[in-house]
Amino acid sequence: MEPHLAENFGNPSSLHRWGRAARNSIETAREGIADLLGVDAGEVFFVRGGTEADNLAVLGRARPGLRIGDRTRIVVSAIEHSAVREAALQAEREGAEVHHVGVDPEAGLDLAHLDALLDEQPALVSIMWVNNEIGAVLPVAEVGARCRAAGVPYHTDAVQALGRVPVHLADSPVDLVTFSGHKLGGPKGTGVLVLRSGIKLDPLHYGGGQEDGIRPGTQDVAGAVGVWTAFRLALGERESEAQRLESLRDSLAEGLSRHLPDLRVHGAGLERAPHILNVGVRDVDGATLMMALDLQGVAVSQGSACSSGASRRSHVLEALYGEQAEAATPIRFSLGLGTDEPEIEEAVRRTVAAVEKINMLERVGR
Amino acid sequence: MKQPEAAPPVLPGGRRPRILVAMSGGVDSSVAAALLVERGYEVIGVTMKTFCYEDTVDHGKTCCGLDGIRDARRVADGLGIPHYVFDVEEAFTRDVIDDFVSEYAQGRTPNPCVRCNSNTKFRDLIARGKALDCDGIASGHYARVERSEEGGTTLLRGRDQEKDQAYFLWGLPPDVVEVLHLPVGDLTKEEVREQASALGLVTADKPESQEICFVPTGDYRDLLTRRLETRHPALEPGPIVTSDGTVVGEHDGYAGFTVGQRKGLGGGFSEPHFVIEVRSATREVVVGTKDELDASRVEVGEVNWVVGSPPGPGDEVLVQIRHRARAVPASIQQASPLLRLSLHSPQSAVTPGQSAVLFSGDQLLGGGRIIRADTRAPAPSPALGTMQ
Repeated sequence: MEPHLAENFGNPSSLHRWGRAARNSIETAREGIADLLGVDAGEVFFVRGGTEADNLAVLGRARPGLRIGDRTRIVVSAIEHSAVREAALQAEREGAEVHHVGVDPEAGLDLAHLDALLDEQPALVSIMWVNNEIGAVLPVAEVGARCRAAGVPYHTDAVQALGRVPVHLADSPVDLVTFSGHKLGGPKGTGVLVLRSGIKLDPLHYGGGQEDGIRPGTQDVAGAVGVWTAFRLALGERESEAQRLESLRDSLAEGLSRHLPDLRVHGAGLERAPHILNVGVRDVDGATLMMALDLQGVAVSQGSACSSGASRRSHVLEALYGEQAEAATPIRFSLGLGTDEPEIEEAVRRTVAAVEKINMLERVGR
Repeated sequence: MKQPEAAPPVLPGGRRPRILVAMSGGVDSSVAAALLVERGYEVIGVTMKTFCYEDTVDHGKTCCGLDGIRDARRVADGLGIPHYVFDVEEAFTRDVIDDFVSEYAQGRTPNPCVRCNSNTKFRDLIARGKALDCDGIASGHYARVERSEEGGTTLLRGRDQEKDQAYFLWGLPPDVVEVLHLPVGDLTKEEVREQASALGLVTADKPESQEICFVPTGDYRDLLTRRLETRHPALEPGPIVTSDGTVVGEHDGYAGFTVGQRKGLGGGFSEPHFVIEVRSATREVVVGTKDELDASRVEVGEVNWVVGSPPGPGDEVLVQIRHRARAVPASIQQASPLLRLSLHSPQSAVTPGQSAVLFSGDQLLGGGRIIRADTRAPAPSPALGTMQ
């Protein structure tokens, strides 16, 4: 990436030699990414992060119909990332009908409901590949096959999928796919939208026509090269890394369950990606636990956070567990390259100690 | 031997004491955190999210809302300390806002900052502080904590008489006072601002917050209208009467009146009239002359003692009946279940709902909520009282 922030300063849209060099770098990155994902280079669009790609897909598909006053439907799952969820909400404000397909903690995505909704010819189905809070893998192939059969474009947010579960777009019936660079160690604020040729989309921005007008604005050359590099590294070791993380995740869950008998592993009944473990701890104040763990050097999260930094109820857990979601405090552990067995043991020890301490104090306080 | 707060003792294992400091985002608590860091404590900053800021329209208010949280976080970042947000909305609504509304509905004038300190802020702080292995808690109040070598703790007025906030701290449980640190209590507001500038804190020039944090518009009647059921008697018209029962006018809801108030009574009196009582049962706002506002006997409930050995009947104390009022001599006539005080000289507008706070010199002894003030019966001469 570094040379693209220094000596290779050209604007890829310029016709002079520095411009050409920059364009060459971008196009090489695009082809590289296309190869890794199994799509054509012309289907890879550089955007400024996963959220932008999701917005582009949802609003970009909703607006052409809305613009001419057509009845426009958008179908999303009930456990989408906020980038899809909020974009769908915006489409709703603009006049679209948004339908949420439920996810059962045992049976998974409600495909029968999806089938019924597909009969209505929605402008887009957006159902994520891997959920960001609990790691659940959604049935992309089944959803895609149904969408294909119905002639409905299918978008999937694969930010948490790439590098964690097999992602081969050549044989996946998906039409729009969101990727983020930074989730795999690439630069922050970079992303890719894969858009199959023939799928029409309104852009969110207007300007110089870069990225075929899908995402105008001067391109981020270093970012594009960074995304490519991050994808290449993550995919190179995916299989062995996935196995390693899966066994670490299971020993983390096992260790926690041994000491915290009421522990609930969120999404346990579903196929899950190996890098996320989300557990529910009963009767413990979540915010205090988060802080106690942070101070002990255990970096976890609680799902989503609102702008103030106070934790907010998780719509994902609510969708899966209904009122029972309230009964337990969610903690999300993310596992990655640096995670190893001693670290897992330490995380178990510190988490259990923190929970027991808070529990004890709360009992005394009552 | 009394010692002001200084460098912390080093704990076994060479550990520095860990202090959880409440940071509102204002300059006082920012400096409090900075001073503790400077003195060598391990400091953790927290901001309490007390109500749903998304519902308030006005954004420019100080110390509250997301701006406060953001400022606190920026100060913490600058000090290199961790910062967290506690969501205490539920407890705050129940213990402070609901109480505030209910007090006005009953014709009293509440003191929400006291309620928050007594029931929400410090209780939450100490509970979480324990869970986070903290050795103490801190805030940016202008009051002082002195610790004797024997381990006793004394809560005193702030050095800056103008800014002193001891009045708001009477409800602190003794276990809170024991571990409490109030680093700005030894400074004047001027010095606090200088410190903030010297430390380059982003909050150095922040304006003072005056309003009640959950009433950003400054008009608490808006809040009452939203939170009381429609046509609640407190917001319905009622008679304005004199102390002999003569109806002299009509008001538009007794919740808008507080003892000592002159505004909103209409004119036509031969001499200035003030609210001397609010009677929720009959919706009457009772008015009278300045003389009629004077009271010598005060009855106080929900009493809390900050000191280990509280004063008893016959003891002489100083009592402060509102923020910024001077503390005046009084003798305790009864200590429980209700605290009965006899003021040596009558005080004007002793207001039910407000706090009566007891001091011995600068030392905070405790306090309670004023239930009623006897405005008519003259106080007995102290010489005839129950002095021991």
